[in-house]
Amino acid sequence: MALIPTDLHVRDEAVTEINSVTADRTWYHYVLLGGAVLFGIISLGFVGTIFWSSLPTWVHHGWTLLTGKGWSSPSGPFGGLAMIVGTFETSIIALILAVLIGLGTSISIVFLLPRRIRNIVATLVELLAAVPSVVYGLWGLLVLSPWMTVTVNPWLNSWPFAKFLFGNPGQEFGTSLLLASIVLGIMILPTFVAVSREVIAVVPQDLIEASLSLGATRWQVIREVVLPTAKVGLFGATFLALARATGETVAVALVAGGVADAQFHLLYPGTSIAAWIALTFGESQGNEISALMALGVLLMLLNFGLSMISRALVNRQRRILAIV
Amino acid sequence: MSDMIELNEPVEDGHLVRDEIRRISKSVHARRVTTSRVMMVLCGVALLIAAVPLVMLIAELIKNGLPVLNKAFFTSEPQTPTLIAPNATGGVSNAIVGSLALTVYASVLAIPLGVLVGVFLSESSSKMASTLRVIAQTMAGAPSILMGLFAFSFIVHDLNIGFSALAGSFALAVLMMPVIIITTEIAVRNVPNSLREAGLALGARSHKVSLRIVLPSALSGIVTGVILAISRAVGETAPVLLVIGGGFINQWRPLDPVSSLPLSIFENAKSQWPSQRAQVWGVALVLVAFVFVMSLTARIWASRKQQVRN
Amino acid sequence: MEQEIMADIQSKTATTESINRGPIAMQLRDVAVSFHGRTAVRDCTFDIAKNRVTSLIGPSGSGKTTLLRALNRLHDLTPGAKVTGQILLDGVDIYRGNITVTELRTRVGMVFQRPNPFPTMSIYDNAVSGLRFNGVKKKSLLDEAAESSLRSAALWDSVSSRLKVSASNLSGGEQQRLCIARALALDPEVLLMDEPTSALDPVATLRIEELMTSLKSRVTVVIVTHNMQQAARISDDCAFLLMGEDRAGELIEFDTTEKIFNNPVDSRTLDYTLGRFG
Repeated sequence: MALIPTDLHVRDEAVTEINSVTADRTWYHYVLLGGAVLFGIISLGFVGTIFWSSLPTWVHHGWTLLTGKGWSSPSGPFGGLAMIVGTFETSIIALILAVLIGLGTSISIVFLLPRRIRNIVATLVELLAAVPSVVYGLWGLLVLSPWMTVTVNPWLNSWPFAKFLFGNPGQEFGTSLLLASIVLGIMILPTFVAVSREVIAVVPQDLIEASLSLGATRWQVIREVVLPTAKVGLFGATFLALARATGETVAVALVAGGVADAQFHLLYPGTSIAAWIALTFGESQGNEISALMALGVLLMLLNFGLSMISRALVNRQRRILAIV
Repeated sequence: MSDMIELNEPVEDGHLVRDEIRRISKSVHARRVTTSRVMMVLCGVALLIAAVPLVMLIAELIKNGLPVLNKAFFTSEPQTPTLIAPNATGGVSNAIVGSLALTVYASVLAIPLGVLVGVFLSESSSKMASTLRVIAQTMAGAPSILMGLFAFSFIVHDLNIGFSALAGSFALAVLMMPVIIITTEIAVRNVPNSLREAGLALGARSHKVSLRIVLPSALSGIVTGVILAISRAVGETAPVLLVIGGGFINQWRPLDPVSSLPLSIFENAKSQWPSQRAQVWGVALVLVAFVFVMSLTARIWASRKQQVRN
Repeated sequence: MEQEIMADIQSKTATTESINRGPIAMQLRDVAVSFHGRTAVRDCTFDIAKNRVTSLIGPSGSGKTTLLRALNRLHDLTPGAKVTGQILLDGVDIYRGNITVTELRTRVGMVFQRPNPFPTMSIYDNAVSGLRFNGVKKKSLLDEAAESSLRSAALWDSVSSRLKVSASNLSGGEQQRLCIARALALDPEVLLMDEPTSALDPVATLRIEELMTSLKSRVTVVIVTHNMQQAARISDDCAFLLMGEDRAGELIEFDTTEKIFNNPVDSRTLDYTLGRFG
């Protein structure tokens, strides 16, 4: 779950042509071209192989994978509803947590911290993003989970509508969808902060000064000018974080409980698409492998779609700021 | 001069509007200032909340991880504790050897091809280049478990090589490549055009300019990308989980099944033996320390590059 | 004019005491601005007269913009910035007196070098943004202020039919006039302009200059400009700043524009206005 903010820096347009490839064709050119072709083949193989392996499931079971509720090894039926619901449920709660905290964090980094500390904090955010996800999972499982069971869960169960949101108390275990959401939220926070901080920091200073000169308070400057100007890019950051959350595997596998019941009670154990693949793959054979590959196809489509949206938004933000 | 546009006379309102604006402004001033303060404090609180997990995580890692680090931890193969010897966990040398082997093989596979493709993208503006760029960006964000599925289907199943270090490093290489491609392209593009032009003006052929002038100038940027890619690969569990097979003994050859540091965390985190759960913290500490050192190195490389340029 | 001629010509220090230019909007007393202890501009003592255009001229690095930004406390957010001396608005010290920074900024507006309308807001929303910041919600008041300020900025006729259009659709000159309208909507007493035409073409520049002259009856204008012809054309009073030995800007001379350009006290002022340096 390392952070790669770099994909935001490559310009798609206005590429200065350096014609060494087309000008004189030498062995160098063919080596480069060969590498590019090989990479193209590998990526095609990446998508193609997974899709091909999942084909038996789509042919024999069709939409059961999307709508079916039960998953029984080793012969089926293989229903993916629990994983799909779990993926969305955990990711969206994680996203809400990460965006709320992350937006405040980014604003503080840009507007409250002195320049020197700002760089240190930026480094810390990068380090947080570099922590392997299995370590977050371990921490969630061995530190957060006991604390949740003893302190948080009883308190949550005292809420009104607790049954509806969290399920009947007493049935929950240490691991739950809520715990997975919180761990996920912590994990995608650096991703969101890294992008949103940058998007906020590039809002032109003269817009900020103009609003100050009109008598705006600091918060008004942020709310009425900075955030609206950065809006598109912030949505891009949100989708990027969502893409990361939906694809996160081992941490969710460790803390979500790994139970494939199609329910949404937050304090009950559940699972996600990626976590389910990680948990069941080792002991599966034949048809079940194909079904897990089909889950992989779902995950791939979801992730590619989200990252496409994210990229488009960040590119649009860049064009907006180019006009300003 | 004044025939260019017709200027309207200023509104003569005796500043009635001004007075009303000032009155409204004064009446809401306290509320505006309070709102602003409260919101800024809330933002600061968000920053503190964001820092809590980091501090807690590092504290737990050090508190639980340091005590289990000893010579045997690094040099012995693991054992399963028994009722008679509940603390006999052995070490994690198998995971260390395995991680090392996986990283080396994955780097061998990914670095040359990644750099090649990155340079290609930076030097070409063809349709193919822009397509590959989008593919690389998409792959860089793809869930790592998919690399595991790919490696399983292709290496373990189709090529019938079986659970092995090779399959794991293939998965990791697919994961590393997009990172290397993207950072290489940026590094090469950041080389000032004047350098290239100077070379071309001296009559050098373009591939010589690329090899002798552009690539050396871009080297530190490329190294940064490689370090980032390696530090990401070392910590990944999901892609190797499905294909490396695991095992308790030190193995490193490409066709051997191997273990890895993250995998050993994943497998022992839920262990029934407290001694094994304790040992997992040590593995996590080693892993995080390694990743932090790599990330900071990459950062220093990157800033060194900037200093040279300035 | 007579008073001006009678002014104390022998005095080497620039003085304004004896010039009768009508009521005073702002007074600067020994104003200096420093960043992290390094002085950027100092020794600024002069009065800004009501309903006149005061220009700040001088070569780059003489601290004109720095001084201008001190007049509505824009340095407040810059870490390490310090303003000493006194700046009085209607007799009230704007840094230490009984006035909040937001109130000050509604009374002393600012127009910047680059046209900077808020890109996410429509023309109308830009024009009334200052009122909204200050809590004005009443539609009739907003509409009235929008029309009056856009008229004053000579923009009403061309934009009245497309008030809901994004401000980034306007041309550079129109954008700058929108920024002036935005500042005028709050009906400030003083309008600070930081090289407002430096990013504009000559035609748009001319329009802004005409606008400034026409605004005098409504607002006191302080303008920083690089362009001496512009200062001569539009300003009534003129402050000449120059970078001293220690690279800090200082006030060399303050007087009516006519005197600064025709009969300055300091020889450096003459050299500058004749284009011998800078």
